[in-house]
Amino acid sequence: MLQVLLVDDDTEFTEVGSQIIEFLGYDVAIATSLKEAKQWLQSQSFDHVLLDFMLPDGSGLHLIDYLKQNNFTPYVTLITGHPSVKGMLAGLCGPKVDYIVKPLQREDIEATLSRKKSKTTKNKRKQPTLHFGCLVGESPPMLELYSMIERVAKTSANVMLMGESGVGKEVVANAIHNITHNDKPMIATNCGALSKELISSELFGHEKGSFTGAIARKEGVFVRAGNGTLFLDEITEMPLDMQPNLLRVLENKKVIPVGGTQEITVNCRVVSATNRKMTELAQGDIIREDIYYRLAVFPIHIPSLNERKEDIPLLADVFLQQLNQENNTEFTWNEEQLTVLKNNDWPGNVRELRHAIHRAFIMSDPKSQEIQLPNTFISPFSSTDNNSSAIAPGQTIEDLEKELIRVTLDKVDGNKTQAAEMLGISTKTLYNRLHAYDDFTV
Amino acid sequence: MDIKTNDINTLIHNTRGPLNRISMQAELIKMVLESDMPKEKVLAAADKIIAACQDCSNSLQDISNSVQE
Repeated sequence: MLQVLLVDDDTEFTEVGSQIIEFLGYDVAIATSLKEAKQWLQSQSFDHVLLDFMLPDGSGLHLIDYLKQNNFTPYVTLITGHPSVKGMLAGLCGPKVDYIVKPLQREDIEATLSRKKSKTTKNKRKQPTLHFGCLVGESPPMLELYSMIERVAKTSANVMLMGESGVGKEVVANAIHNITHNDKPMIATNCGALSKELISSELFGHEKGSFTGAIARKEGVFVRAGNGTLFLDEITEMPLDMQPNLLRVLENKKVIPVGGTQEITVNCRVVSATNRKMTELAQGDIIREDIYYRLAVFPIHIPSLNERKEDIPLLADVFLQQLNQENNTEFTWNEEQLTVLKNNDWPGNVRELRHAIHRAFIMSDPKSQEIQLPNTFISPFSSTDNNSSAIAPGQTIEDLEKELIRVTLDKVDGNKTQAAEMLGISTKTLYNRLHAYDDFTV
Repeated sequence: MDIKTNDINTLIHNTRGPLNRISMQAELIKMVLESDMPKEKVLAAADKIIAACQDCSNSLQDISNSVQE
């Protein structure tokens, strides 16, 4: 068991401190002056000295000198009330001397005795900036997004957020809300999750007894949002025949609860979201044109994760730090792992990345400080399917040709004559191509 | 640093003592509640916290008097 010497002239502190240190599994001796501390050091060896800076018969620094002169080599942690002492100690102390600042907490003592960096030290590590308190990323598409959020936040215009599933539409809605109405409510509802029968009641509220099961009066989300923000997720999943009711509210800013007669004035900003593409909105019977123009006064496209791959390490860092905080762990990334994450295809966007990190976190050995990534991130939505021949802007003709040859050879089980026939080239040309791709294996 | 500033720094230092005791006694209470240590320790620690709060208050009054002098 490690031996700790606690040196402080505040006897109440040494009494309670020693109980805590013992509880943490260390043997502890107490000294209330330099003289007593020296007596202890002469009688037995200590692994760690917790040392008050100001003692009745001198400074804690005198004891450090005494340790050096007598070749005693315990770790020393100075307990100080002055955070400013850090600068002074930096010049004085060697690798075995540290300091902690009063008022102390158990975790300070725990971290210091196990010679781990305390949470306060960890927090000094540069953390990615949380834009508007919730958004992470410094890539050009995100900087453009921040600029749009700032612009629209100054107005009361309704906003429609567009982007693939998992890009963080609700987070962006939160960002808009945080800038403008953070002291007012933000109410979120998913239009795709509401049955046709209940959607009016959810949006506009209902009076008691207005339909079977309406046992009490209920306020709708427009009223509950007050002067704040109403987030209508999956707005394009709302049945078309219900949309005129919504249009009326957007135009008149008044709702009538189901079964009610009194109009209630509403004044919230409506932020809606859809993962449908613009072309789908235009072609399909998904959303009425008049509703679209009311909701999308200011449409914002949220970039997919593939459009901002450089943000993946920042996101990974934030997610891991959140998990560390929730679970009191100290997992870290190494550069190779961040590169693996960056190079992976994330069809489910930030949501998929977050869940993959959570899975890796659960699977990692809690005794190790390094997180363990799985060999593959299998997703049923992955676009790396061999049967798909996705072409992305920026790919070289050589890459496409190589992929085409590979897919064709796969199809004919590596039969080059058959593959050449299918590709419309001679067998010799196919061999020449394969030879040119010297790293190409079938 | 003038004498008055020096005095105030000393008074502030004196305030950190009881604050430190409050923090540590609170940590002890948490430990007692998390473990099977005798629960009487909670009462004793709570009494010491109350006393340290009074010490803190006195120290703050000293700082206030010093500023007004």
